Amino acid sequence: MAYETSDFRNGLKVEVEGEPYAIVYFQFVKPGKGTAFTRTKLKSLLTGSVIERTFRSGETVGTPDVEEQPMQFLFNNGETYTFMNTESYDQVEIQGKVLGDDAKFLKENLEVSVLFYKGRAVNMTLPNFIEAQVVQTEPAVKGNTSGNVLKNATLDCGAEIGVPIFVSEGDWLKVDTRDGGSYVSRLQK
Amino acid sequence: MSPIDATRLRQRAAIVQALRCQLADDGFLELHPPVLVTGPALEETLEPVRADGGYLHTSPEFALKRALAAGLPRIYAITPCFREEELGRHHAREFTLLELYLANAGYLDLIPVVKRLVAAAARAVGAPLPSWRSRTVADLYGGTIPQDDDTFFFRWVDTIEPTLTEPTFVLDYPARHAALAEVRGDIAERLEVYLGGMELGNGFSELRDPDELRARFARSAERRAAAGRVPHPTDEGVIDASARMPRAAGIAIGLDRLVLALTGADDIARVQIPR
Repeated sequence: MAYETSDFRNGLKVEVEGEPYAIVYFQFVKPGKGTAFTRTKLKSLLTGSVIERTFRSGETVGTPDVEEQPMQFLFNNGETYTFMNTESYDQVEIQGKVLGDDAKFLKENLEVSVLFYKGRAVNMTLPNFIEAQVVQTEPAVKGNTSGNVLKNATLDCGAEIGVPIFVSEGDWLKVDTRDGGSYVSRLQK
Repeated sequence: MSPIDATRLRQRAAIVQALRCQLADDGFLELHPPVLVTGPALEETLEPVRADGGYLHTSPEFALKRALAAGLPRIYAITPCFREEELGRHHAREFTLLELYLANAGYLDLIPVVKRLVAAAARAVGAPLPSWRSRTVADLYGGTIPQDDDTFFFRWVDTIEPTLTEPTFVLDYPARHAALAEVRGDIAERLEVYLGGMELGNGFSELRDPDELRARFARSAERRAAAGRVPHPTDEGVIDASARMPRAAGIAIGLDRLVLALTGADDIARVQIPR
């Protein structure tokens, strides 16, 4: 199976020159009096690095041999992060440098989607939303519930995000992980 | 369906009003060309939208040239245009062109006209006034223009266009990319305008040789047939007009893209009413 440039969308996993990538940006381009192209940015599923690639319209790319499995985060030992399949108890390791910024949201028992390429665990995707407890922030300002003014807060998973000033230490929050971490709401716990 | 961006629609209206005022000040007459036409513009790589046995125009070029030949020396139209198979951040199947013609002028005379128009549009929305530069196509390819079209366009999209982040007039295309421009030696008297990293417009010294125009229609039809595309019909109206019209320069400017560039929007859907 192959994809044509008209199938391109963000997040689509493609194989280019034997390497698996996810499309993170694509743009239809048609120079004056010329033929059409699609300009892309591709994120390597193996290394996390991003390359730019221009395709002629109608050019095809392959489908990588990838599979996703829900797994639980167990621990990290500095360089690698260990995840476990909760049914088979199989464990896999993923290099921290591949996870990049996403690693800061990993907390013991968090369920993530681990990506296997040709049977080998190479990367993982966080859930869109996580629940996390505030471990450190400036004292709350009562009464201001507008949510427009933000302050920094450190979460139990280690991430630092901006939160409204009415948030206190010990509060449980719903956090959106897709944009580097943003406050969604306070949770009743 | 995308939401309507009311702020950007206000800005768009302000820009259109400023363009019309500037064009009136510069002595241009606004015309209303037919949208439903019997033949699309001579654009080998454009796919027209078919309608009722004819086409929706891909640009108002042929109608405006007939008006030019009929003795209207400074004319423009702001009109919806339609192109099939073009969808993206900077492309929509239906979009708006500002196309203008200026008699007794060559392509370089379009530069001050475009500068005044963009400045008026920028002032209308409080955008900074562009500081323009000019580059020839040969300069941009480091002196050697690739001979085959595939390499020419691939390098253009892959490495050259991404560097055109400053407001730029790109001048002097190779003769085989003349489209309907006058050719001088191996250079087509053609320019493109870049603003906000986008191709904003394309202008020519207009070809006035009816035999050469007929030959270009034939060549384009051959190449389209070879590529498995339906050839565009030869338009006798524009061939007739080309023999009678004065020396002239014309340019088409993508109005939606001008609004994108001046308001900092990143998607054409933000400056249109979504369908």
